[in-house]
Amino acid sequence: MAHFWSSIRDSRGFDALLVWLALGYLTVFSAFPLVYNFVISLQTVDLFSLASFDRPFVGLENYREVLSDPVAGTVLWNTIRFVVLSVVFQLLIGFGLALFFQQDFPGSSYLRGLFLAGWIMPALVVGAVWSWILAGDFGVLNYVLRSFGLIDENIFWLSDHQVSLYSVIIANIWLGVPFNMILLSVGLASIPQDLYEAAELDGAGAWQRFYTITLPLMRAPLGAVVSLGIIFTLQQFDLFAALTQGGPSNASNVAQYWSWQLSFQTYQISRGSVVSVLMIVFVIGVAAIYTRSTRYEQNY
Amino acid sequence: MKSTILAFAAAGLLASTAMASAEQVTLDLWTIDDPGEYHYVLAEEFMEEHPDITVNVRTVQFRDMVNDLARAVATGNGPDITYIDNPEVALFASRGLLLDLTPYIEKSEVVNAEDIYPGPLASVTWDGGIYGLPRGANTIALYYNADKFREAGLDPDNPPKTWDELYQAAKVLTKPEENAYGIAFSAVATEEGTFQFLPWLQMTGGDYDNVATEGGARALNFWKRLLDEGLASPDTLIRSQWDSTGTFNTGSAAMAISGPWELPRMSEEAEFDYRAALLPIPEEGAERASALGEGDNVILANSDNPEEAFLFLEFLYEQMPRVWNEFGYLPASRVEVNDPKTPTIYAVFEESMKYARNRGPHPEWPRISKAVQEAIQSTLTGQTDAGTALETAQQKIDGVLGE
Repeated sequence: MAHFWSSIRDSRGFDALLVWLALGYLTVFSAFPLVYNFVISLQTVDLFSLASFDRPFVGLENYREVLSDPVAGTVLWNTIRFVVLSVVFQLLIGFGLALFFQQDFPGSSYLRGLFLAGWIMPALVVGAVWSWILAGDFGVLNYVLRSFGLIDENIFWLSDHQVSLYSVIIANIWLGVPFNMILLSVGLASIPQDLYEAAELDGAGAWQRFYTITLPLMRAPLGAVVSLGIIFTLQQFDLFAALTQGGPSNASNVAQYWSWQLSFQTYQISRGSVVSVLMIVFVIGVAAIYTRSTRYEQNY
Repeated sequence: MKSTILAFAAAGLLASTAMASAEQVTLDLWTIDDPGEYHYVLAEEFMEEHPDITVNVRTVQFRDMVNDLARAVATGNGPDITYIDNPEVALFASRGLLLDLTPYIEKSEVVNAEDIYPGPLASVTWDGGIYGLPRGANTIALYYNADKFREAGLDPDNPPKTWDELYQAAKVLTKPEENAYGIAFSAVATEEGTFQFLPWLQMTGGDYDNVATEGGARALNFWKRLLDEGLASPDTLIRSQWDSTGTFNTGSAAMAISGPWELPRMSEEAEFDYRAALLPIPEEGAERASALGEGDNVILANSDNPEEAFLFLEFLYEQMPRVWNEFGYLPASRVEVNDPKTPTIYAVFEESMKYARNRGPHPEWPRISKAVQEAIQSTLTGQTDAGTALETAQQKIDGVLGE
């Protein structure tokens, strides 16, 4: 016992303790659910067998059934469009705003603060607000577009199957821009000002400075923002629940929402787990890219 | 762990037999009601009549009920009595989780199964047993704005009786320049969409297990025509019944298909002469059908106090004549309702109840329902034609039924 306490007091034992605490936490709250989810995806599980481990093992049967479901292709293509378009526009707009507020004009820091509003609000509230904006017959957006003479007939943002996915994407871009902007602003602020001054003295124009100084030095923050953006976008559930429920006719259904529908609407919990296991595999890949991009962080 | 519980239980049993006369029985009741509604009000009244029984009422959100209940019975923490929505009874009854009430009903002087309407009775019946007592019922009918009928030159005393008449009326009543549609209903991709569509299918001879029929395609194409010609809002695809009827109340739709649960709000919001009519039928002389909603009071199989629980169910069942005026449901059994509120609309719904059919029963109902919803949505969005969509649904349903 005395040995134990002395090992805690000397720094070595204390380090080990901290590591074990962290590892223990990760095991209980991350590894166990992940493994449990994977096990469920190999068994036949319904609502009533959730609590016991003794369930029929079916191997990859659930995977076969999920992947051969006619909805799977639609969901995959929707998920790709949702993630790529959301992340690209969140990044472009977020980076643009970060550069803009970097200009340090009067009131810039207050304005930048205002942009955070969207990020502070819960996604479900954002969803409710956007569903009023995008409503077909009485929506704000249709009213504005009609007043400016841009459209003659209402666009049914949420119930037109060719539009509904893009409506959710628009709302999600709005929701994600502040996060991108703040992270990239921090990155921009850490670039030493004298680099720009030196380049300017050597006669580099604004574009040259951007391409040769800003972009290379922003590599790590951009990598981080892109990979976190992908992960956050794949987590986006509330907007779908509030706006389209994946419809009409699965036109705006994405993997994360489909997984929930399978588990909790038709109670095919194993199949819902299959979808989430496949998503986890993808997210682990993205997370690997993220850790690489932060490992090579540049020091000036 | 188990043995200690047993030991405690045994000790408790000994103690309770020792003071049998003073025994206080506690019943746990789960409901989707909020305080002031059906279960809360009636549990109070029941406790006044039976001071030796305590009823603990707990509210569970409607959408969480099945999940919470399944988890509770899996871990042995379930209530004694609970409310279950009609199509979910089979899910729990098929797994032996509900108490078969048949022997209790045979002895009962209050409950007579023959008094219960066929639809509600079918909803609590599984494999020959009766697993619950309906607390009430609801069904759908056609609400219409009599003022708009008059303006458009239609006879408000002669509402549409067939699909053709419904289409004609919707066409005349649609006024795009006023942003007003002819009719509002719900084709949303949830249980509500199935609830609204099944009667249309049943009127043409089909049912949940037989959807790929000519009549089914005809019904779907009729819905599609209403949307394609702008007689109903494209948002019909994503609106619940409640939201759709909201547009009727504000005058943005001249007719609406929905149930009696709309009436309290309608009496506040709708500033016009609103009336109700039976759901139109495909043609003169065709079979009638309507949806059956609301839910049932059931006792869980592992309840410790089945006798007292059934006493409470009997008490609830006895209140059937009060449900329309006080709680807004239709009676699920043949009872005399004295002085009903909105008597003409009540008469329509009462008549409609005779044609109300249960959904299922099937323990995998949500999957059958999902197949129907997908057929509705893929047809109405124009992605597939009605025949193919129903064919696909039929394959999925056959898959579920064949398991």
